Amino acid sequence: MHERLSFYIKRNSVIHHLNPLTKLTLVLALILIAFTSPWYWTPHLLVLIAIIPLSFLGKVAPEFFKTALRLILPAAGFLFLMQAFFQPVGETVIFKFYFLDMTQESLMFAFRNATRVIVMVSAFTFLLLTTHPSELMSDLTRRGLPGQFAYVIISTLQILPQMQAKAQTIISAQRSRGLDTESSFIRRMGSLTPLIGPLVFGSLAEVEERAIAIEARGFTSKKVKTSLHEIPDPSSDKLIRWVLIILVIISIALKLWLS
Amino acid sequence: MLEKIKNNFNTQTWVLIPIAIAINIAIGQLVLVLKLPVFLDSIGTVLVAVLCGPWAGALTGALSNTIWGIAIDPSAFPWWPVAAMIGYMAGRMAQWGFFKSWWKVVVTGFVVAITAAIVSTPIAVYLFGGITASGSSFITAYLLQTGQGIWSAVVSTSFLTEPVDKITTAMLAFAIVQGLPRRTIGGYPKPEQVEVEGGEGEGGANNTQMYIAIGVVVLLVLFAAFMLRNILGG
Amino acid sequence: MAFINLQNVTYKYPLTKTPVLQNINLQINEGEFVAVIGPNGAGKSTLCYTLAGFVPHFFKGEISGTVEVAGMESSKSTLDEWVLNVGLAFQNPFNQISGAKYTVFEEIAFGLENTGVPRDEMKTRVEEALKLTDISNLADRSPYSLSGGQQQRVALTSILVMQPKLLVLDEPTSQMDPIGTREVFGVIRKMAEDGMTVVMVEHKVEWIANFADRVIALKDGQILLEGKPSEVLTSDVLAENGFGISRYTSTAREAKKQGLWKKENLPVTLDEAVEGFSNW
Repeated sequence: MHERLSFYIKRNSVIHHLNPLTKLTLVLALILIAFTSPWYWTPHLLVLIAIIPLSFLGKVAPEFFKTALRLILPAAGFLFLMQAFFQPVGETVIFKFYFLDMTQESLMFAFRNATRVIVMVSAFTFLLLTTHPSELMSDLTRRGLPGQFAYVIISTLQILPQMQAKAQTIISAQRSRGLDTESSFIRRMGSLTPLIGPLVFGSLAEVEERAIAIEARGFTSKKVKTSLHEIPDPSSDKLIRWVLIILVIISIALKLWLS
Repeated sequence: MLEKIKNNFNTQTWVLIPIAIAINIAIGQLVLVLKLPVFLDSIGTVLVAVLCGPWAGALTGALSNTIWGIAIDPSAFPWWPVAAMIGYMAGRMAQWGFFKSWWKVVVTGFVVAITAAIVSTPIAVYLFGGITASGSSFITAYLLQTGQGIWSAVVSTSFLTEPVDKITTAMLAFAIVQGLPRRTIGGYPKPEQVEVEGGEGEGGANNTQMYIAIGVVVLLVLFAAFMLRNILGG
Repeated sequence: MAFINLQNVTYKYPLTKTPVLQNINLQINEGEFVAVIGPNGAGKSTLCYTLAGFVPHFFKGEISGTVEVAGMESSKSTLDEWVLNVGLAFQNPFNQISGAKYTVFEEIAFGLENTGVPRDEMKTRVEEALKLTDISNLADRSPYSLSGGQQQRVALTSILVMQPKLLVLDEPTSQMDPIGTREVFGVIRKMAEDGMTVVMVEHKVEWIANFADRVIALKDGQILLEGKPSEVLTSDVLAENGFGISRYTSTAREAKKQGLWKKENLPVTLDEAVEGFSNW
């Protein structure tokens, strides 16, 4: 149960050797282009010509598709259906279901929104599969991100699975004592308090000691921090980042120009 | 300004934030399991906001949704500005003394809910055309079909769903803070914000507040259930 | 002048009425290994926090008297300066894991990164520290996946690697087995011989008798007794004040009443007891 919340797969690929900031820039660029591009087909094209090939290049394609199927498609699929049916735009009715109309316009709208979400999530999945969180954080810290941010991100990723495990234990314990998740609102609401109490108070009681422990190791030290890991940032990486930034600017410019 | 932001953050703040994010996510998921008609995914955010200040609260909210979106449920990600605003507003209300008795906490919850509704509306409209992947979008869809405009449909939905959730959240956060030992609270940047009015907040008084909090929560849930049935049934 | 110098130190936590430390006067020399014993609520942990600078800089509250450690004076310095000279490790190992690192190696380097130690030096120091406490085999493991005793070793190593002049330890071996405890006491003894000053709160009196230079017995925030382990740990005053004492001492004390223990001094350890009883 104490598995850490990290998607990272250690492999030896071109993508793994890129500087973490380059990969982060890539992800943000893909998302910005997906959301700013004036054409409804851009997001899904990005998935097909960029994100999927990149996952093969990074030798994480099997894991990428597994995560995509488990995580991304259900959310995006639900969003697509909701929007296709409930979006009251357009005239060309394709399909009728009681009072709900699916029009050609709502279908396109739904397609664009769902694929945008797919770009956003699959791009991040790609980043997390090929980049160790601590590598990303130490690179960002080296570039001036306050060390406390890195602490918060990594610490959350390690605490969360423990907390989820605790929540799971509590639910099981309550169930064995007759907690009924199928009963009335009020009964379920009432059962919430004994569930939340032990989950929260235990971890809040630790805060003071944990703060002392990291302060004893110079957490608030005013000295310039150093880093155990050396993260290379060759000029090819800098070039890639500039190209990505220019692509984003072009996308935004096109959007403004065409609208 | 910068000083005001900085005084929200001491080492205990930095240690509390990850725990608060984990509380947000763990309880949010617990609520899903119990199939309750609320989210309760910002209890941790409110805790940080009232103990450390609005900026720490805002950061907790923003990071919560980012991490939730990246690691668990992608549809949570675009809502980070809402979560940040919830933290900021809860912190401001606490600063104004609205976290010192249960009825004031209800007011805080309500104000936070309205803020959340306002911030979430443009995101829902621009990003999703009003229909999100959340269950409450059925209400929006219904209102749209009855001929309401998109903005008013989204805002009405938020005003219907947010207050119950945020008042419950604020009450639970209040109950938690009152249950913490006073020495533990002393180490956070703003311990004075959560000192209960009327002096002795020990033992019996805490329990009474806790019961009242739970009572109000139950009433609000009934109210929401009633409203929902009216809308969906009518 | 003494390396540690406490003069009339009285301290109260915020929002409390009774002081936890009362009129503490204490001098400790460089390279001394001092053990602190006392019942629950005696102020042992607060004394540790005071020596490590957390009282009053972290806890706030009211302090009077003077606290001087390694040439720094508490009222004139900050916690930042203090932690560069004084290392603190305490009982609960789980709460001492930073949470910011994925492996034991990185975890131990955390303090060195924060205090700006250059990369090459950092690596050498971490490797040496891992060897010193015999946990090189854990270097690539996640700190969260370790046993309590192993986590305590990591916590201790994380502090030792920072090479403090004063090492303050609050029950650092509570979750270790006897073999682990012996090894860790051996390491700490060696650090003291190499010039590090050590103040350690510990319940295991037999270990204190074998390794410490001096014992301080605290009760109700005051120093009750102070002196060589063999004298303090066998004193009647301890037994009368509810301190945990060695079973060999209490057995020999009973034996002495019956005339069965002939030696002047009571034993603390098994070896001393065996020797005393067999020479009879």
